[in-house]
Amino acid sequence: MKGVQSPQERRLEKKDAKAKEEPARKAQLEGETVHIKVFRYDPEVEGKQEPRFDDFHVPFEKGMTVLDAVIYARDEYDSSLTFRHSCRQAVCGSDAFFINGRQRLACKTQISDLEQPIRIEPLPHQEVVKDLVVDMSHFYDQMHAVEPYFQDEDTPPVSDLEEQRQSRENREKIKMSTRCIWCGACMSSCNIAAGDNEYLGPAAINKAYRFAMDDRESEEIKEHRLRILEQEHGVWRCQTQFSCTEVCPKDIPLTEHIQELKREAVKKNLKFW
Amino acid sequence: MSQSYNRGLIEDFGRWKEFSAGMWAWIFHKFTGWMLIGYLFTHIAVLSTAIGAAQGEEVTVSAEALPNVDGTGEVSVDIYTATLGGLEGLVIVRVLEIGLLAVAVFHILNGLRLLMIDLGIGLEAQDKSFYASLILTGVITVASVPTFLAGVF
Amino acid sequence: MSERYSTFTPGGTGWLLQRITAAFLVVVLAFHFFQLHFVNHAADVTFAGTQARMENVGYFLTMVLFLIAGAFHGLNGVYNALVNQGLKGTPKKIVFWVLVIAGVALIVQGTYVALAMAGWS
Repeated sequence: MKGVQSPQERRLEKKDAKAKEEPARKAQLEGETVHIKVFRYDPEVEGKQEPRFDDFHVPFEKGMTVLDAVIYARDEYDSSLTFRHSCRQAVCGSDAFFINGRQRLACKTQISDLEQPIRIEPLPHQEVVKDLVVDMSHFYDQMHAVEPYFQDEDTPPVSDLEEQRQSRENREKIKMSTRCIWCGACMSSCNIAAGDNEYLGPAAINKAYRFAMDDRESEEIKEHRLRILEQEHGVWRCQTQFSCTEVCPKDIPLTEHIQELKREAVKKNLKFW
Repeated sequence: MSQSYNRGLIEDFGRWKEFSAGMWAWIFHKFTGWMLIGYLFTHIAVLSTAIGAAQGEEVTVSAEALPNVDGTGEVSVDIYTATLGGLEGLVIVRVLEIGLLAVAVFHILNGLRLLMIDLGIGLEAQDKSFYASLILTGVITVASVPTFLAGVF
Repeated sequence: MSERYSTFTPGGTGWLLQRITAAFLVVVLAFHFFQLHFVNHAADVTFAGTQARMENVGYFLTMVLFLIAGAFHGLNGVYNALVNQGLKGTPKKIVFWVLVIAGVALIVQGTYVALAMAGWS
């Protein structure tokens, strides 16, 4: 009879399966752990009013991310460990931290790619509220300052269909700029954003780029957007440091977009000659 | 959120090992820029002795000490020649001139790199072009040492 | 800040002029270094030698333009570096005017020196 295993075959199968599991479980239990140092600060708790680093040794599993590690640490060791996180798949932008000296999304960073002990700190150049949580309100202010929404009031409707079409080329042009998840890594990495708090910052300028370069908005709106960007603390503050481009978890060529807008502003002003 | 901890900028320079190429470029360009503007003011100040020289102001100097004065013993030269000669006669000044060269060359080369970036050329290689400017600055500086220190030792 | 509308916004003009003077300075500064360290040796410079060079009108004008471009580029650079570091409000206005005055003084003095060197003062 086909399909029915003999008792011997069944026993062998079970044995093989167990043999495969053993090393993985062994590694986990035998103390393959990862050492993380996490920044702690809590103004409302005695002993945490001065920032310090806490050491955690988290059991390692293949494919583990930094987010997995801090969640484990919080769930198993210290439930007061506080940090933002949500989607765990690099689309919500909540868990941008300063990991081993670089801005990264915790859910997108593999433990195995990092040198231990892994230093996990809140984003630099922002005020720390508690542990790894920073005050993002300045970041949001700058984003809102560029009117990050579609403004098509002046765009003439197309026939009776009222459908505004975007050419494939135009979509390609702005494609990368649409990927921003507002994580704040770029602004945190920019030295000018750190020094000059009126600087719009790479995220806001990129957002403006996304709309300014979108053909579906009218020329008047584009000019209006450029006027915001060409203020003293707009695009001109960018010193092409490229740190933003390097840390963006969505690989947006931020510096390039800012440069393009600088050129646009210059061209627009030269036209009056 | 009544209290928050502001870590400020100070911690940044402690992390110099983590700086990227673009960040070093920005720091060096600023540093060399400050040096050069400081030098420009000093340079015009020193050259202002030309006004005195044009009006016939002269001083007595020792011809051996000044590399730009021929002859021997005590001679009378215009104040411009005397000042420049006096400075050029000092070894430390000759060494500082090499430093000035390095500073100016780096600022020029990185400046060219920045002009390329502003024109949108070669953005993919921006970090490599910074390293290239550093190396080229070193090469040019070292190559110029013989000329700059000619006649000093 | 004043809302006067100009064809060149404050930020844009400075940015563009910084690049234009930069391109000019790359060439002229390199030329100046060559002229005064390789063609002639700095150690051999005398008033007579300087006068011989500065008497040439083309050279004279180049040197004056060099001074103006250098002064602008340097002082504008300093101003922007300070704004990037967070300079604002009253200190910013003060710094701006100090730099303008320093720049004007530098150019005036430098031009006067150049004229003296050429023997035309």
